[in-house]
Formats: sequence, C-alpha cells, structure tokens
Amino acid sequence: MTLAENLFENLRLELRRGCLTLAVLAQLRQEHYGYTLRKALAARGMEIDENTLYPLLRRLEAQGLLTSEWREEDKRNKRFYRLSGDGEEIFDRLLKEWDAINTAINNLL
Amino acid sequence: MELLDRYLQQVKRHLPWLRQDDIIAELRTNLESQLEDKEAELGRPLTEAEVESWLKQMGPPIHVAARYMPQQHLIGPTLFPIYWYVLRLTLAWCAILYIIAKVAEEVASGVGPQAALHAIVQLPWVLLVNAAIVTFVFAAIERIGKGAPQKLFSFLGEQPAWPQGVVSPFDASLDESDQRRSYAHAVAEVIFGWLFLVWLLLVPHYPFLWLGPGVKYFAALPYALASVWWTFYWCVVALNGIELMWRITDLLRGYWRGPRRAQRLVMRTVGLVPLIVLLNAPERVFVLLKHPAIDAAAHGETVAQINTAGYRAFEVVTAILLLQLIWMIVRMSLDAYRKRLAAAR
Repeated sequence: MTLAENLFENLRLELRRGCLTLAVLAQLRQEHYGYTLRKALAARGMEIDENTLYPLLRRLEAQGLLTSEWREEDKRNKRFYRLSGDGEEIFDRLLKEWDAINTAINNLL
Repeated sequence: MELLDRYLQQVKRHLPWLRQDDIIAELRTNLESQLEDKEAELGRPLTEAEVESWLKQMGPPIHVAARYMPQQHLIGPTLFPIYWYVLRLTLAWCAILYIIAKVAEEVASGVGPQAALHAIVQLPWVLLVNAAIVTFVFAAIERIGKGAPQKLFSFLGEQPAWPQGVVSPFDASLDESDQRRSYAHAVAEVIFGWLFLVWLLLVPHYPFLWLGPGVKYFAALPYALASVWWTFYWCVVALNGIELMWRITDLLRGYWRGPRRAQRLVMRTVGLVPLIVLLNAPERVFVLLKHPAIDAAAHGETVAQINTAGYRAFEVVTAILLLQLIWMIVRMSLDAYRKRLAAAR
C-alpha cells in the first residue's frame, strides 16, 4: 500500500467510524441479532465486517444505547439487540447532527 | 465445525475472563448463522479448506478478541497532550538535576573522569525510569478516568475555571519573534546601565556604596580580598561597558525594539569570563589575612575553609551558567532548524 493509499484508508476509516454507529442505531429501531443486523445493513449498502460490528454492539450496549436479550430462535440461542430509551433520544440528536453536516457538505460541494 | 470450535477457543483465550463465555456464545451464533447462509448459497456443506479460508479472512484470533477489549490504549487522546507536556518537563528537569547533582558530587569528592563517564552512561537509564513512572501514573489516571469521566475532566481543568484560571500570563520569552520593547524601555535600559556602570566604578573608592554601614565591620575583620578580585572587578566593568555601548549603538541605529538573540548569546558567553578568572585564581586564594604573622594561628584555618568553599561554589555556579548557555544554544539551533523546515515547506 502506497503512502497516499494508506492515508486515504485512514481517512476513510475515520469518516466511516461515526457513520457506522449511526447506521447501527438506525437499523436497531427494529430488533436484530448480530448476523441478521449485518445482513440488513449490507442489504442497504452499509457493509460492516463482523470484527467491527459485533464488538460495536457490545460497546453501544455498555453505553446504555442498546438493550439485549438472549432468546431461542430456529433452535439456536441468539442475542437480540434493539435501541433503548436513551438510545432513541441520542439517535434523534445524532440524526439532526448528521442532517446538518450533510447539508453543510452539500452546500460546500 | 471443528475448525470453528478451535478458532473460537483461540479467541476465548484473549478475551476478558468475566465476559469470555458470553462473547464466545454470541460470536458462535453469529458465525454459525453466517456459515449456514454460505452453505445454503452453495447448496452443499463447506469443505475444510473453505472454512479455513473463511476463518483466515476473519483475522488472527488475538485481533478478533482485541476488538472486545474495553480499552485499546494506555493513555487516551484527552489525557495525552497533558501526559506529553508533563513527560517532557519531567525529563528535562530530571536531566538538569541529575547533571547538577553529579557535578556537585564531582566537585565535593573529586571523583575522576571514569566516574563522570559512568554518570553520563547512567543518564539514559535515569530518564527511562522517570519516563516509566510518569507513564504509569498517567495510565492509572486514564483507567480511573474511564470509570468516572466527570472526575477526569475536572482533574484536567476543563470545568468553569477556564479561561480565567487556566490561561497563564503571556510569556514573552516564548515568542521572541514578537518581543517588542518600547522606546522608553530601551532608553531606560541605557540610563540605568550607565548609572550602574558609574556606581560600579565608584565602589572601589567609596566602599560604603556597596557595603553601606557594613564597611566599618569589614574594615575591622582580619581578612582582605585577594588580588584576583581586582581582575574579576575589571572584567565585570568591561562587560557592563560593552553591553552599555552595544545598547547605545542599537538605540542610535534604531534596533532597540528587541534584544537580538546573537547579542544575548555573546553576552552570556563572555559573562563566563569573570567566573573563569576566579576559578584560575593563583593557588585558589580569594581571601587572605591582613596580618598573616599575627592572625595565622587564630584565623588561618578559617581562611583556608573560606577559600576551599569559595572555589567549590564558583565551580558550581560556572557549571550552572555553562548548562544555561548550552541550553540556550540548543534552543536557538532547534528554532533555526524549525524555521528552516517551515521555510522549505
């Protein structure tokens, strides 16, 4: 990887980091377990690799933005996540911030 | 499936003890679902090679586990600037104090060059130990701050005290390019420099200008100053004379706005001359008896002690001034290098 590519990759990851959280919160207005969440996000164009998504779910839960429960589905125990009350509030605020950034960037371009 | 089990077992090893079972159970569910999807797509079970290749794409188990760790850094971005500042300050002071202590030790015990070399070799280790201590303390603050961020922020001073309490008074020495003196300031420097020189020249003729009423007490003492003090005195006079002339010339030529760094460097360097004169005093005698024949028995020992202590003190002062001079040269060189780099960009 050349220096320019490396720089681009770092900036891309930095840019994506916050967006991923927003995408996950948006998708978890409906209940999902890890793998179906990943598929749902990918189906909407937001690919996330498992090593990023699953730990992210844990972190968001630890921060109180998500709630989770273990439940059996298709003869398998799965951990289902959804947005918590605090998560919904934070998500709304983040969404407004996102809209403002989006508008500003569009104005700049 | 056996490969996946082995893989998860490897991941588990690197996970936090309290949460490892829960994390592995969840990871297993997700990976098994993914595997099932892949098999459904292909319409057949995956071969061992395909599973292996898929797991390789996931990355080494230690990396997978690392993502679940609560803290990935020793000192986070909030604390890091303060850590970096304290570390530099600690190392600088550590080096200065270590050098002063070693010089003092050298002076006091007269150890040889081998000991001096040993002290120099030891310096990096001393700095390393101190850096480790600072890092350890900040890592501990970081860990505590993770659990109670509001306490960390108040520790960092981000609370209401800013900006009144945090912004320190302007330090002109930090911004020498913008250091400006008023014309009145420059004139006052010349006037007081002149008055000081006059006072200095009058002191030998009117000692009360220096000692005040203590002149009588000094005259009654059995001690007298050695001739080396005259050389020292004329060196100080000459230095002040040179500095005064320099200031007057600058004032007349319109360079009074800021003291030039080269000028200060020269003055600091030649400022060492009087001390070198003292260090080279004949037989290291600074004080002697007015009437050796009469007072030698009573005061000879005291005079010897004063001369020895005086010599040691001058050595220490010279060493400190020398270090200051070296530090100034280093700073000037670094500044010049920084400016050159900035200009090149």
